[in-house]
Amino acid sequence: MKLEGRYTLPAAPAAVWERLNDPAILAKSLPGVESLEPDGPDRYRARIQYRVGAISGNFVGTVELSEKKPPHSMRLKTSARGAPGFFNGDGRLALAAKGAETEVRYAGEIQVGGMLAALGQRMVESAARKSIEEFFQVLAASLKPSPG
Amino acid sequence: MIPAAFEYFAPKSLDEALRLVDRHGGEAKLLAGGHSLLPLMKLRLAAPRYVIDLGRVRALRSIREEGGRLVVGALATHADIESSDLVRLKCPLLAETASEIGDVQVRNRGTIGGSLAHADPAADYPAAVLALDAEIVAASNSATRTIPAAEFFVDLLTTALRPGEILTEIRLPVAGRQAGAAYRKLHQPASGFALVGIAARLSLDSAGRIVSIGLGVTGVAVRAYRATAAEQALASKKPNPKLVADAAAKVAEGVEPLADIHASAAYRRASAAVYARRAIEAALLRAAGKKT
Repeated sequence: MKLEGRYTLPAAPAAVWERLNDPAILAKSLPGVESLEPDGPDRYRARIQYRVGAISGNFVGTVELSEKKPPHSMRLKTSARGAPGFFNGDGRLALAAKGAETEVRYAGEIQVGGMLAALGQRMVESAARKSIEEFFQVLAASLKPSPG
Repeated sequence: MIPAAFEYFAPKSLDEALRLVDRHGGEAKLLAGGHSLLPLMKLRLAAPRYVIDLGRVRALRSIREEGGRLVVGALATHADIESSDLVRLKCPLLAETASEIGDVQVRNRGTIGGSLAHADPAADYPAAVLALDAEIVAASNSATRTIPAAEFFVDLLTTALRPGEILTEIRLPVAGRQAGAAYRKLHQPASGFALVGIAARLSLDSAGRIVSIGLGVTGVAVRAYRATAAEQALASKKPNPKLVADAAAKVAEGVEPLADIHASAAYRRASAAVYARRAIEAALLRAAGKKT
């Protein structure tokens, strides 16, 4: 399933770029990610506990950044499996300055298999969109100047 | 298709259930009719450590009239609701909605509280409780609060219920005179879920103008919602076929429709307008005292 969209973040591209390359921020922003451990350059091992309403599952997998052109674009790949099945995400992020802010355009594909797919894509696409939205929301919150 | 191991509790009273929920919090799931939770557990898409079965809390299954409102217990099954004389008389929209859910087996086991708390984007009741301005009552160990339906459905499978709370009952306004309501649904033939489901509730004044209207929409978006733009297009107006069709066309305005193998976003949007028109037309006929 293909997903694309855009999101505006409240900082300049250089600051957004820095956040996207900070594993601590990535771990906090990627929905359900409990930990990211370095596993080679721009590659992390991820432990994920995903939860939407009554649906939940534990996954282990990798998050990988590649094709980096600072501070303009990168490719973000995730792949994880667990008892409920597996999911693979492969997307490109493009950053563009928009006044003092940054517009991030994303385009990518998500594959879901195993029992997760038995949800019939009925809810998988909605859950994926919700996760992307949450990712940008947390990222945006991390870019707001902290009070004091 | 065997669920992961879990510990099972079968409390006999609401107090006992609330204590269990309080103690086990996020690791517990409440079991009502089991028609959403058990399939998820068998697919291992849910693996709660504790399952608290509310089936023995008999008090939660009552249907009664109280203080001018119809009060439906969370454990009332869809079959209880569709066959209740009191519901059919006082709140026919809810009975009609219940009769459209799934199949006989699902209606005999599934409950209104379970369905609302699960908040499946294609469940039927959300459309009706939104259209009716119902109130959802949630109890916890320390307090009981009332949540307006308009604030209850927050996101995909997500409600305003907090950890430690149990949905205990639904309070519904009693249908008045010159009022009509109808639920019209495009069924997904295999599952019986709503690809589109529209609940319309309205009342007329003596001149035939629409004085009050509620349109609840399910199946179209990640969560059920009130179609306020369509409602506004009809409020205080004397309806005619063109006005109704124009209003119905606004039912998915500003909404990003769901898309899956059963129905694309464009198909859902187009169907929503058709079923909204049918629901409003049927509600108008009923408000005028005609059979539909």
